[in-house]
Amino acid sequence: MVNSILFILFGGLGIGCALAVVAQRNPLYSAISLIGVFISLSSLYLTLAAPFIAAVQVIVYAGAIMVLVVFVIMLLNVEAEERRRARMAFLIPVAVLLAAIFIGEVAFILKAVNFDVPLVTSDVGTTKSIGIGLFTTYLLPFEITSILLLMALVGAMTLARRAVILTSVSRLMSGPYVPPEEIEEPLVERTEERSL
Amino acid sequence: MSWDSLLNHPLMHPVWLIIGITIAFLSIMLLVAATVLAERRVLGFIQGRLGPNRVGYFGVLQPFADFIKTMMKEDLVPDQSTKFVFLLAPTVAVITAIMAIIVYPFGPTVNIPLLGPVPLRIARFDVALLYVLGVTSVGVYGIALAGWSSNNKYSLMGGLRSSAQLISYELALGLALIGVVLMSGTLDIYEIVQQQSGFFGLHWNIIYQPIGFIVYLIAAIAETNRVPFDLPEAETELVAGFHTEYSSIKFLLFFNAEYVNMITVSMLATSLFLGGWNGPGVATFPILGVFYFAAKILFFLFLYIWLRGTLPRFRFDQLMNFGWKFLMPLALINIFLTATIQAYWPDLMSLFR
Repeated sequence: MVNSILFILFGGLGIGCALAVVAQRNPLYSAISLIGVFISLSSLYLTLAAPFIAAVQVIVYAGAIMVLVVFVIMLLNVEAEERRRARMAFLIPVAVLLAAIFIGEVAFILKAVNFDVPLVTSDVGTTKSIGIGLFTTYLLPFEITSILLLMALVGAMTLARRAVILTSVSRLMSGPYVPPEEIEEPLVERTEERSL
Repeated sequence: MSWDSLLNHPLMHPVWLIIGITIAFLSIMLLVAATVLAERRVLGFIQGRLGPNRVGYFGVLQPFADFIKTMMKEDLVPDQSTKFVFLLAPTVAVITAIMAIIVYPFGPTVNIPLLGPVPLRIARFDVALLYVLGVTSVGVYGIALAGWSSNNKYSLMGGLRSSAQLISYELALGLALIGVVLMSGTLDIYEIVQQQSGFFGLHWNIIYQPIGFIVYLIAAIAETNRVPFDLPEAETELVAGFHTEYSSIKFLLFFNAEYVNMITVSMLATSLFLGGWNGPGVATFPILGVFYFAAKILFFLFLYIWLRGTLPRFRFDQLMNFGWKFLMPLALINIFLTATIQAYWPDLMSLFR
């Protein structure tokens, strides 16, 4: 009873926010709506007895990734997008078709799936089972993902510092002589920019 | 139906929950008022002056007078601001600040006449610590959005600085807590507090996790935007930072959120490192636990005020370097040490247990 009320509440909130993400023309409003989607999703995880996933959903998506998105929108001061109805017109029938397919799939699932399965009480969502799974059964995928993230981190650092590296390298390698006052020095400016 | 079974009826659970939340909320709000007054008085004494002492005895009514005065001010909304976000920002800040208080145990289970044993906490769940971190990480939006929506360069700079600072120090804060989690083997704050009971305070985690405690304390001061890490509202550079354009009740909400954050951060430090409600005599008189808990929180709040009266402000690049190049590696070393000792010399950890 309480569970279904919560499901309707947060499910509705999530769908409303998701629609707002697409419908808003101001990118910052879209980002805020997306945060709403993440938070209602995590509330749904809580009602499904997966508290760890709920907490991680908020920490990682709402707390870290979306902060970066909002940060970028704020820094670039992105304007509200203009409406380009004429260029997108040919997409409307495609959208209607896809929506029809989606509704058909949902109807099929509702009709075909057997809902009378007895509820299994398991500890799938708890911290302990996730920890044990990560460090025993799924150790290799876990490590590979970590290395992937590390590579992304190093790559981002390299891209961000390329200008600095390039100037120092070009000063080291003797090409055609450039008098020191003509060397572009983005170094000082860039550090100031970074430490906003 | 007897009185006892009526009180323990399942339908009464939401009622108890609401009563508990109301009591906790009101005590936190009173504590905020007390902290504001204490800050002004203690700062006054540190700086060789008296501080506000006219309204009520020793100025005890000063926060309430200030509250009424600020409420009466005109509620300004800047002309070019984004109105909805401008209103949303203080709301988010204060809601996320207050949401964190529900997981802390204010005391052990107490026998209250007519009611029977009552646990002095609102909610207890598996991932209480992660819940606190999650709520804190959402709190960043309050400040970031306030800075952006005001359409004021000082506000924007304050908001950006603050987002960068909070994201950076959140990492050190979370990593500092992992040492304690490794030792106790649970994320449930109530359980962590209970494990620290007994043996004259020698089970407190601060003894086993001194590095973790120091890293947590520094990161927590940065998380709450307090001196010496109050760059987001550095008045010499940014007027008042992210809340430059806020007046009246919206300003009060930000002000309130800052102080509630200070209190919740102190509560977390108390629960995780200083044994929560544990102290001499709690086993015989459980109600004493509430006073020990309050006393430890007040110690941390005094520490905040003391630091404000003592230390100058960091420069922003110093702040970033300190967070990323000193605190983070220190917290990682702490995790490494704790895990190694746990794995190879488990006897060392349980020397006093």
